[in-house]
Amino acid sequence: MNGDARGWRMALASDTLINPRTLARAALPNVLGVLEANGYGVLQLPPAGEHGLLLAVIADQVAEYAHHGYAVVAIGVRGEPGGGLHWHRLASLLRHRGVALPPRHLIRSDVDAAAEEQRFAVFLSDYDLPVEEQRRWRV
Amino acid sequence: MTTSQQTGGEKEPGVGQDAPRKVALIANCLLNQNAKVCEGARYRGLVNPVVEALRSRGYQLLQLPCPELAFAGVRRWWAVYEQYDTPAYRAHCRRLAQAIAPLIEQHLRRGDEVILIGLDGSPSSGVRFTSSKPDWGGRPNRPKDDWEIVPRRGVWIEELEAELARRGLPPLPATGWALDMGRFDEAGSRRDLEQFLDSREIAAGSRDDNSAAP
Repeated sequence: MNGDARGWRMALASDTLINPRTLARAALPNVLGVLEANGYGVLQLPPAGEHGLLLAVIADQVAEYAHHGYAVVAIGVRGEPGGGLHWHRLASLLRHRGVALPPRHLIRSDVDAAAEEQRFAVFLSDYDLPVEEQRRWRV
Repeated sequence: MTTSQQTGGEKEPGVGQDAPRKVALIANCLLNQNAKVCEGARYRGLVNPVVEALRSRGYQLLQLPCPELAFAGVRRWWAVYEQYDTPAYRAHCRRLAQAIAPLIEQHLRRGDEVILIGLDGSPSSGVRFTSSKPDWGGRPNRPKDDWEIVPRRGVWIEELEAELARRGLPPLPATGWALDMGRFDEAGSRRDLEQFLDSREIAAGSRDDNSAAP
């Protein structure tokens, strides 16, 4: 696309990682910083609770991206129910829309944050769609 | 009158006492430029100047859904306000507003400061300005196409604000990141956003001083 800067990759991200609580902040990598450095956009998931309609709306958007050559991953927190990703509900919504579950990466808050940030960055930089799929859409 | 006074300020179940008190609703594409119309993305993913300006001032982020992506798809053409001002698109926007409004309401009823950062010039997410051309239609012809920037909300913001009003919630302080105004000026947009945010800090400081006075 002429003059268009989009990176064609994005992460479904748990609310905890986008808005870390004060006590958790020091234990977590700078997730938005790593996503930005790797050219990923963000689809923010809601915090814990019942958000049926909002999750359906998010699943609609993921389906649109997944069907048109965009790479989607999911980033959660180990130890939170469903990784903070509403995984069970989201998986069902995506299956109903004919979308394969995105690769999931869970951040650990009980290990060295710098090492965890590096592990996260490697996951992001390594992932993309197969080259043939990229060529089909990304013109 | 503060938001918490207007809405009762009750504590909602499941809301932590230590939760941040400043929340910025942000247009979807400010966290994800993949949502932009074809040829409209200026960044690879996040719009980092916006994220940094908000986070450095202690704001939580709450991303709004993208109404255009979910309605017309990721390969849609660009459009102006009048092309999206249809009953079907407004009904779609109302559904999205109903999906996100409970989270906004929860923050407001708890007494949090909630602001809105839209996308100025956008037919959907414009706050101070939207794009207008009543006779636009047919095949797009960029760069020859021209449109006007007019001081008006985009369709999505109109419907979101209407949904919040239906719930008895007060209007949100709002501004827009000027990405869709024709010629994009990042430095100017950043200054504009920071002035808006800093003016809110100053106003909050004055209120604190007044409430502390004997």
